[in-house]
Amino acid sequence: MSNTCDPAMRDLEANVPSLKRTLAERMLGTLKWWVGILVPFGVLGLAGWILPLPFVMEVLIFSIYTMACNFLLGRLGFISFGQPAYLAAGAYGTAFYLYYFGTDPYMGIVAGVLAGFVVSALAGAVFVRLRSDYFALVNLALTVIVFYMLQKVLAPITHGDNGLWFLDRMRNTPVLDITNPRQLALLIWLVAVALWAFYKYIDGTIFGACCLATKTNEDKVKFLGYNDFAIRWTGFVLANTTAALAGSLYGIYFGFVSPEMASAARAADPVVVTILGGTGTLYGPLVGALAYVGMKDLVSRLVGNWEFFVGLLLVTVMLAGEKGIWGTLQPIAQRWVGRWVSESRE
Amino acid sequence: MEGNIWISGVIYGLSMGSIFFLLAVGLSLCFGLMRIISLDQLLYYSLGAYIAYTVETAIHQPWLSVLSGALAAGIASLVVERWVFYRIYARELTFTMITSFGILIGGVGAIKYVWGLIPRPASIPVDIQVSILGTPVPVYRLIIVAIAAGVYVAIQIVLNRTVIGKAIRAAVEDVDQVEGLGVDVYRLFTLTFVGAGMLSGLAGALHAPLVMVDPQMGLEVVPFVFMVVIIGGLGSIKGTLVSAFLVGQVVSLGSLIYAPLAQMAPFVAMLMVLLVKPTGLYGSPLLRR
Repeated sequence: MSNTCDPAMRDLEANVPSLKRTLAERMLGTLKWWVGILVPFGVLGLAGWILPLPFVMEVLIFSIYTMACNFLLGRLGFISFGQPAYLAAGAYGTAFYLYYFGTDPYMGIVAGVLAGFVVSALAGAVFVRLRSDYFALVNLALTVIVFYMLQKVLAPITHGDNGLWFLDRMRNTPVLDITNPRQLALLIWLVAVALWAFYKYIDGTIFGACCLATKTNEDKVKFLGYNDFAIRWTGFVLANTTAALAGSLYGIYFGFVSPEMASAARAADPVVVTILGGTGTLYGPLVGALAYVGMKDLVSRLVGNWEFFVGLLLVTVMLAGEKGIWGTLQPIAQRWVGRWVSESRE
Repeated sequence: MEGNIWISGVIYGLSMGSIFFLLAVGLSLCFGLMRIISLDQLLYYSLGAYIAYTVETAIHQPWLSVLSGALAAGIASLVVERWVFYRIYARELTFTMITSFGILIGGVGAIKYVWGLIPRPASIPVDIQVSILGTPVPVYRLIIVAIAAGVYVAIQIVLNRTVIGKAIRAAVEDVDQVEGLGVDVYRLFTLTFVGAGMLSGLAGALHAPLVMVDPQMGLEVVPFVFMVVIIGGLGSIKGTLVSAFLVGQVVSLGSLIYAPLAQMAPFVAMLMVLLVKPTGLYGSPLLRR
């Protein structure tokens, strides 16, 4: 067994302890991750009582939207300038159901998610063959096409730029009443926490590892016998269905959808927020969305042009090593937590 | 009557194509040489338009204002190149794409701060019309086409006949080799970047009288410029020329057939081209990453 002549074998043996250690770390991680969820989302949930409610809802929905992009960018290595297409697919799925067919907002959300699933499953089958920048651009093309479909071509059903209003068509629902803003905020909060936990869970599964592997070296993944097309397609559909869910929640929250949602001018927003927060980090989307929405709100109230500051911040983040806000804060936070844990033990 | 619409449609498409060409050729050159995607070219485009508009209203010298627009864009691109791009040339493509997007957004914010949000009308330098086959055609649009053609010829001459141009072409093929020959490639990079910025500024200054000058104008043409570059093939000058006029015609003639088509048809075309030939019409397979 310990034939140490073979260098590859020796490497493997040298690596076994570290494998064990990462397993232990992962077990510790699963213990800690409840804390990980509860602290930031708890703070944001509490903030719902202090900060204006629309702001908190906006941050939460935006962070769901960004989680999708974060998964694409950080786990699959896809940079997509076409997220508004999927956002709009979800929003219009919900809007069509609530405007033409039913009154149950929960069914509306389901309809939106289904619409997003169908659109991303079809688009993904064609798109995931392309790499990085081409992928970004075909997605941008899809966004523009969706925008003009909604604005002009499908105008008889989408009412063009006037949009669809369905706020007063939504029925009161028994358990969590969506028509009540505070309970809607609770629902959005629950969805955000659930999605966060879901993506955290994905990270630990074989599928998550495969996603990361296709990002790093697609040939090796093929060599190991995995179907890399299926992995990327599944990841793509997963992420964009999440984006559609965010769109559907936007629709419910405003009670109104318009083609503006699929506007190409907003196409880079989720990518920017992902990078602002820290690509591939778990809290990145939340921190990024908070910083972005907060800055947009605050700066546009104080100075008037938020673009300048967002641009400046983005360039600074990129030049500082593209770790993002959370990527920079994380080591500091970990040191704090570590010190606090060791002190409380003594 | 029917024929008149088509002729003016073609002329309109040609002038749109010229603007697209001036914008896209900079992006394409930057990609070919430095392997960066420089979205901030669109900022120099808006800046060129705004400076041209401001100088025009101040001294009423239309062609001088166009020139000053291009110069101001060149200066701005030099500053950005020194401060930002100089540090990130070695990074991967998506990195430069996102950084330059940050510059674009920040620049749009700065423009909003200086000139305000309201779109401004810029006056046309030449408002004579000539008759082509009985159709009145604005001379200004023909001048734009002529300028674009001139720029194309000038770029070809510089790239094929001068030492610097030959060094640039060689560096597109293999940067390390050229550096090994003792050429300061970073000087080539700066030169190309500023040249691209000036062309974008020229495009903005020329386009300003045809559209309203407004802060979002750069963001509005982003999809089209990208499309031109992608259809033509990243890094190919000839491909950029062909696809710019192609997209110009598709936009212009498409809108005559069915109005919503104008904005959508080019994207459908791009999707088709990309799925069939991912390197674009003239993109060399060497440039595939």
